[in-house]
Amino acid sequence: MKSSAASKISYAFTKSLYCREFGIFLILILLSILFYFTSRDHSFVSQTNVETMLKIGPEIGIIAIGVTMLMIAGEFDLSVGSMLGFSALVMCWLYSKFNLNLPLAFFITLCVGAFMGALNGLITVKFGIPSFITTLGTMMWWRGMIFVISAGFPTIFRPEKTNPLFKFILVGSIGGIPLQFIWFVVFTVILTLLLNYHKFGNHVFATGGNKEAARAMGVNTDLTKIICFIIVGILSAFCGVMQSTRARGAYALQGTGAEMQAIAATVIGGTSLFGGSGTIIGTFLGSLVLEVISSGLLTSGVSGYWFNAVVGITVIAIVIMNIKLEQRRIHRGKGSRV
Amino acid sequence: MEERGTPLVEMRNIHKWFGKVHAVNGVNFKIWPGEVVGLVGDNGAGKSTLIKILTGYHRADEGEIFFEGKKVRINSPRDARKLKIETVYQERALVDLIDIMRNVFLGREPTNRLGFLNKKLMKEKSLSILKDMGLSIKDPDVEVRFLSGGEKQGVAIARAIHFKAKLVILDEPTIALSVKEVKKVLDFVRKIKKQGVAVIFITHNLYHVYPIADRFYVMARGKIVKEFKKGEATIEELAEAIAAA
Repeated sequence: MKSSAASKISYAFTKSLYCREFGIFLILILLSILFYFTSRDHSFVSQTNVETMLKIGPEIGIIAIGVTMLMIAGEFDLSVGSMLGFSALVMCWLYSKFNLNLPLAFFITLCVGAFMGALNGLITVKFGIPSFITTLGTMMWWRGMIFVISAGFPTIFRPEKTNPLFKFILVGSIGGIPLQFIWFVVFTVILTLLLNYHKFGNHVFATGGNKEAARAMGVNTDLTKIICFIIVGILSAFCGVMQSTRARGAYALQGTGAEMQAIAATVIGGTSLFGGSGTIIGTFLGSLVLEVISSGLLTSGVSGYWFNAVVGITVIAIVIMNIKLEQRRIHRGKGSRV
Repeated sequence: MEERGTPLVEMRNIHKWFGKVHAVNGVNFKIWPGEVVGLVGDNGAGKSTLIKILTGYHRADEGEIFFEGKKVRINSPRDARKLKIETVYQERALVDLIDIMRNVFLGREPTNRLGFLNKKLMKEKSLSILKDMGLSIKDPDVEVRFLSGGEKQGVAIARAIHFKAKLVILDEPTIALSVKEVKKVLDFVRKIKKQGVAVIFITHNLYHVYPIADRFYVMARGKIVKEFKKGEATIEELAEAIAAA
């Protein structure tokens, strides 16, 4: 049949262009080379700077890969920054004010993260309102709670006083590689396995791609979404604790703007804003791109105030690139879904 | 068609209101195993609502459903599936952005104990399923959006058959298809019938359903206004019945 022959050709074409991630990887390399030359004394590639990037990048990156999964399922989360901040506060209070032991405090904090995620999911699914609105509300609510509880004061967090191992596990380093980055890789692998090789991942893609078809095939689309929200909540809590351990405290404005960076990393990584398509590895690279830009500007002597402006342009440029590639991929004029 | 024995599905005195609209008004509907029933009527006649009650998308406000003689409650698409009632919707059948084999096994993925997909099995089975349906697709990991409309219907129907459906419901399966593709879909239906599976073919295009159906229900304003067996009416008389309703 003619059309099936055509679909085969277009499919072969797709496969050759398939590595959308390869494009992002290329951008990552090009940016690194650029900053190598623009940074003072090539300080961009100095050991200290690379280590710093690998420490700080994952604090958004780990959240972003969760957000990616959620966006593939067709939902948003604007509350990740507030969940990060609130979890950090919970952790620091449990440890510093209630003298709970670290593992237990950490576990409770992750549960709080799961609860906040579940709340986002339940409100969105049960009341049928856009998650954009739900999480806009919870973003403000949890940020508000941080101020109500802490009155805006920082809470000091020095876990190494009772348990040096705890600090090492979260923010130490092995052979010069910061553990934050190792956690990032671990979570990336886990979520990739879950998304691409587990039946849950199939339900996530189907829920975001065509909710009615998924429902008709017996997929519990509501539950699938709620689980994605919970994963985002847990990852936000994890990053909150990780960040507070590095920064030695919880701060009222901690995590502000994380939601936009997470979405930026996801979109740079090629995930569709409309759900149904995207990859974890793309977001992994996308968040590295963000970190490289941030650090590259800094080491090149550009004021840190430029960061948001440059990220903004980068997001738009890369999405345009993705759309162009996508159109060539489809090349049957069905439009793009970036 | 021998109308002896227990019907596969019997819907008795089904009513459904949407607010003040009486979408389904006291419908009685029967289908026997291996029978192809054409459910015809104009847009808004209540065909889709009736079928959505049978497939668990809507709940009837009144009435009873019997499956193989037993009274059943169908409260969700999952319930319908458990009874081996499979629906192929026009727009809702497949997920365009995932590949064929993931679609074929959606909601019923073969996995290991930890829930990880057995992709090898998915691929092999998908291939044989597609082949049985006469589809010449060699690569089951192509995304569904690259298939033609007829091929999509074929995949959805093949999936239903593979999971041992007793009743396959086709909701406007020929809408927006080319003449050639329509022929293909009708061939699929003949193949299903041969395997003893019952088919409800919903359409407002009589010319598509007439050659393959054994019996016809004509719906209008939420009621079944006429019932014909194939020999009893010519296509013109059937068309008349719809227009007059």
